[in-house]
Amino acid sequence: MCITKVGKVLSAGKGRAQVEFFGAGDLGDVDVSVVGGVTEGAFVEVFGDLALSVLSPAEARRRKAVWDEVRKAAMMPSPRRRARP
Amino acid sequence: MPNSLGYCGPDDRGLILRHIEESKGGDNLASILKEFEAAYPFLRLIARSTGMDAFDYAVPEAYWIGNSLLDRVETPEFYRFSHQELVGKDPKEVRRLFRSAGGRARPHHTFYVMSTYATSSVADGPSLSQDGRQKVQGLINNCRISWGEVKEVGKKRLAVKYEPVLLDDGRLSLAAPAVRKVSYNPEVGSFSKVKPGDWVTMHWDYACEVISPAQLRNIAKYTALDIDATNRILKASPRKR
Repeated sequence: MCITKVGKVLSAGKGRAQVEFFGAGDLGDVDVSVVGGVTEGAFVEVFGDLALSVLSPAEARRRKAVWDEVRKAAMMPSPRRRARP
Repeated sequence: MPNSLGYCGPDDRGLILRHIEESKGGDNLASILKEFEAAYPFLRLIARSTGMDAFDYAVPEAYWIGNSLLDRVETPEFYRFSHQELVGKDPKEVRRLFRSAGGRARPHHTFYVMSTYATSSVADGPSLSQDGRQKVQGLINNCRISWGEVKEVGKKRLAVKYEPVLLDDGRLSLAAPAVRKVSYNPEVGSFSKVKPGDWVTMHWDYACEVISPAQLRNIAKYTALDIDATNRILKASPRKR
């Protein structure tokens, strides 16, 4: 199933954009034609490979904070994996 | 092929496929499946609400195809889950979703897909171009779990008659039947004896499994409920009109 991802537009043109996603920081080639007016530096919410929303910088900051928390939690070793002394 | 497009979860799809082909489970399979950031939280929710394990067959079946377990997830619990456990969901949109859909909102994959579009900022009606409408329809049809009757069996592809979702005048509905070709894996047990007349589920370009008559009734029932709930959200959406 698709995950809803949020990221920052690194470059855009002809209805497509290169987006750096929050969390893992992976890059994606995204269709931004249905939201329109997407330029470099904008923040978009993406489902599959289609951008469905453009976010305000404030909303993007809030969503980034959530993803950063998730990322941090994923990087922390689980108790089972932690090395024994 | 699970997650072949990379939209759904971790990259260990070859390993998942081997498990499916060999019908083996095991700890490493469970840990990979838990990394499906969108699917696994839903399985946890359904399991918690029904006193089952997240990987009991009926739990992912409820989420993927639909079954009566979905009716046992209380709306306040689903609301709390949507706020606290679905990473990246906009709280305002979650509130709007539940205000409009209320108890009709179910933790069903198809509802997740349709409601994601319904609460997005994509316009609809006259504001959405024909090309845009086709793209949104395509996304919903590919990402939801659809189903259909097998008409032809090829070596690697099945011709399947199904009802695509139509987005028209700000409403979703099922359109007249059409035939599409999808890939399938004959090594997977469910497809080893697939034949015309069987019913299958589909996700993106792949047939997922052959389904039973009871599963067929369930996926049709819960998809119809999802469409009704989504149309309520769309109707109440200021951006969609």
